[in-house]
Amino acid sequence: MHNLTLLTFLPALGALIVALLPNRDERVLRGITLFVTSVVAVLGVSLFCAFDGSQSALQFTQSVDWFTLGKTNVHYEMGVDGISILLLTLTAILMPFVALSSLGHITERTREFLVWLLLMETGMLGVFASADLVLFYFFWEVSLVPLYFILGIWGGERRLYATVKFFLFTLAGSLLMLLAVIALVSQAAADGVLSTNIAGLTDWASTTPLEAQFWLFAGFAIAFAIKVPLFPFHTWLADAHTQAPTSGSVILAGVLLKMGTYGLLRFGIGMFPAAAINAAPLFMILGAFGIVYGALLAMAQTDMKRLIACSSVSHLGYVVLGMFALTHAGLRGSVLQMINHGLSTSLLFLLFGALYERRHSRAISQYGGVAAVMPLFAFFWVFAVLSSVGLPGLNGFVGEWLILIGTFQRSPVLATFAVTGVIFGAVYLLSATRRLLFGEITHDETRSLKDLNTREVAIVAPLCALCLWIGVQPGVLIEKTSGSLDALVQRVEDTRQGMVVGNLVDPQTEEDVR
Amino acid sequence: MNPDLIDQYFNAECAAALAPLVTLAGGLLLLIVAEWFEPINRLRPLLFVGSILGAAWAEVALLNTPVPAVLGGTYSADKASAMWGLVFLASTLIAWVHARSYYRKSRPFLGEHDMLLLAAPMGMMMMAGALDLTVFFIGLELLSIPLYCLASFRRDRSESVEAGLKYFVLGAFSVGLFLYGVALVYAATGTLSLTALSEAAAAGFSPMAHVGMAFILGSLLFKLSIWPFHLWVPDVYQGAPTPVTILMATGTKAAALAFTLRITGLLPESSAGLIALLAVLTMAAGNLGALVQSNLKRLLAYSGVAHAGTLLLLVAAQRASGDLSYEATSAALFYMAAYVATAGGAFGLLAWLEADGEHFTQIESLKGLGRRRPGMAAAMTLFLLSLGGIPATGGFLAKWMVFSVTLDAHLTGYAIAGVLMSIIALAYYLRVIVAMYMEPASDHVAPPTAKRTDALVATAICAAAVLLMGILPNVFLGLI
Repeated sequence: MHNLTLLTFLPALGALIVALLPNRDERVLRGITLFVTSVVAVLGVSLFCAFDGSQSALQFTQSVDWFTLGKTNVHYEMGVDGISILLLTLTAILMPFVALSSLGHITERTREFLVWLLLMETGMLGVFASADLVLFYFFWEVSLVPLYFILGIWGGERRLYATVKFFLFTLAGSLLMLLAVIALVSQAAADGVLSTNIAGLTDWASTTPLEAQFWLFAGFAIAFAIKVPLFPFHTWLADAHTQAPTSGSVILAGVLLKMGTYGLLRFGIGMFPAAAINAAPLFMILGAFGIVYGALLAMAQTDMKRLIACSSVSHLGYVVLGMFALTHAGLRGSVLQMINHGLSTSLLFLLFGALYERRHSRAISQYGGVAAVMPLFAFFWVFAVLSSVGLPGLNGFVGEWLILIGTFQRSPVLATFAVTGVIFGAVYLLSATRRLLFGEITHDETRSLKDLNTREVAIVAPLCALCLWIGVQPGVLIEKTSGSLDALVQRVEDTRQGMVVGNLVDPQTEEDVR
Repeated sequence: MNPDLIDQYFNAECAAALAPLVTLAGGLLLLIVAEWFEPINRLRPLLFVGSILGAAWAEVALLNTPVPAVLGGTYSADKASAMWGLVFLASTLIAWVHARSYYRKSRPFLGEHDMLLLAAPMGMMMMAGALDLTVFFIGLELLSIPLYCLASFRRDRSESVEAGLKYFVLGAFSVGLFLYGVALVYAATGTLSLTALSEAAAAGFSPMAHVGMAFILGSLLFKLSIWPFHLWVPDVYQGAPTPVTILMATGTKAAALAFTLRITGLLPESSAGLIALLAVLTMAAGNLGALVQSNLKRLLAYSGVAHAGTLLLLVAAQRASGDLSYEATSAALFYMAAYVATAGGAFGLLAWLEADGEHFTQIESLKGLGRRRPGMAAAMTLFLLSLGGIPATGGFLAKWMVFSVTLDAHLTGYAIAGVLMSIIALAYYLRVIVAMYMEPASDHVAPPTAKRTDALVATAICAAAVLLMGILPNVFLGLI
């Protein structure tokens, strides 16, 4: 069996075992889950190491006939490029920690939870590993269902509202994408492309004229923009994050939102470069606006989980901004920032989750002086915050730096605007940290708080180490992506040349970007 | 009798084409005989299932060697009709299995019930295979009259009698529409054969023939439950015994759709836009109606209306572009096959719950089902997700195929509208899932101890079919 298939479906197999095992002992079920996710993590890391970053073609590919729709052949086709291998590995690495953290806050209906968690992992890994458009869409929507249950059953007090909002928002996007997918497949079939292989469709779609690309691009882009979420589609995020259990928040922030940015990169820019070049100013403006807007929103929050959610909006603004700068530096930074945001936001959620389990309050004002009673917690929290605000030496810095460079090459004005987000980011996260950790102990309950236990340290310490490693050695990650990103930039530049020669683009738009 | 005529009508081809009908008719006669003899009466289930399986076997044989036209060109047993036949038989079998649990307590006239139920697929097959308006009419009556009786079969419940009466009155009305249309068409063209009619249509219909076709289409829209002819659906589906609802929701709809797709060529080309508009309005009526229901049976009825709207898009697409006839038919077949398994499974679960005396038709009373009866709740979730068209279920690919045909026919705006409607649909399917899993049970009800092996097997098969159509669709697509 092939590596990617094994990797993707191992969690589903685990889910089946957990669901059907007659043993009612929770520890056994949790043990199986932890084991399966750990094996997947090891497999993911080994794939990452074996991946050759200098090439742009898909690697570890596998293709089997699946079914035929009309004249079009749909294949079960797996494969990863430099972008998806990073996100795949991130997913695989995060999941054991999610499983471990669930021990603290999932106290009832454990078996169901573990089944959903494992199915969720299969869905997410499948999204990044699929090399066929229909297969991608399968995984894309299938990953929606487990999260729906995780949010709806184990969420906070207003979970039903948040869950339905989350589901309907993302579903609206998915269905628009479905139409775009169907239209793309049927137009390609009319042109003689009788396979839904992503690479084949990309070759076909990227050379179609701008007018044809526009609507298809719009369908895909809206779906992904909702998932990211890009301003103005961000409203579901704060509710979903706040109401989700810690493990749900980590999955959401760590992986699910990356599905949106990954889609924008892979399908939005990769498949429809001409449309993407035309839409780039809009997306850059929305991204830059999202950075500042998210930061301002975060400043006003009194609820810690909401604050972290708003910071996600801000951080993902960077990802979109760098991506649509369409420069080498911008794209590299953008991919790196996806990983960084996945790690540092997951850390913040995991840490705050540990605190929440002790005090059951998300209000920042309920805390204060926590550092005095929980020194270990304070250490890791400050570490995570610094990684999130982009302290040089930690992971966040490299991504933001590259994005700002890439943006500056394209538009100094937007880069300047976006830089203010870095300052705001420091303001809201550090001031929240001050209110949370330092100062007088204002509530008596805080005095009796126990510091992080071994399990919790075992969850956060490796992730912190990873943040540090990326901060010091970002080259390892960038190297893996270089082949794929160079090919992408090349395609965009070729299209741009073709457009300028063919006068397809309004020169004014070009000017605006600069 | 003229020997040539005998040769023409009673040859091997004809026998093969009629084999499914003859098998069902034979089974029906045996069932009647069985009523007289108590010892044989015990074999009734065997007779019923045997006839269905025999007919299915004959249909499969027809799939390999289709017969395009027999009986002087009035009846067709082509590949599509054979596939439709299998859909009808599956729908009938699901209805029958659930009826066995459903009537276990009251046992009213089970013999009659089985006879009436076995007549229904015969009618559906004649509707799907008709190449002549008279043959279609006979099929329609052969289906409708047993359904009128079956809908009011629970005479102890006034809702059931009301449903039967409503269905009868409106059914009679739609039959009247149909006959009036047929009369006009005949007066204008002098023929009832679809082949001859399509030649006449190619040469240009007179206004009278167009009006006649409009009446015929109207009566089909009645059976398909298309806006504005859909208002009977929730009342009848809710009042009728749930196993009968299964048959009405899946089989009847499929039969009406099969014939509608056959006659689209007789409609004026400009009607494509109107039909597509009706489709979108039906989706809107069904989905918005379902959104406010508190009764699950009604909710599923309205969702059935919405699905009928989606299916009507295929009719519009086929009319808009004549080249899409094969694609539209295969999409319709796949959609209905998935719908039979999905809606059959969902209504079947309701019948099961009702048979257990839980009065589970209110969404309210489903609260906590996920903990009380996890298997049942999981199956219901699967069916609802398939109705909503989430991948890995048959409903997803069905939706894909419909929208693909619609986009190919350049009905882009209608396709977008249809997609937006399915977001509303998910909102109410989710409401049921929320009730089952995410809301605490209002009062604790112990799960009933009675084992219902037949209902369990039927549900399991439906669930397996839904998953199989979603994950390995080639098993079904290969047949089409």
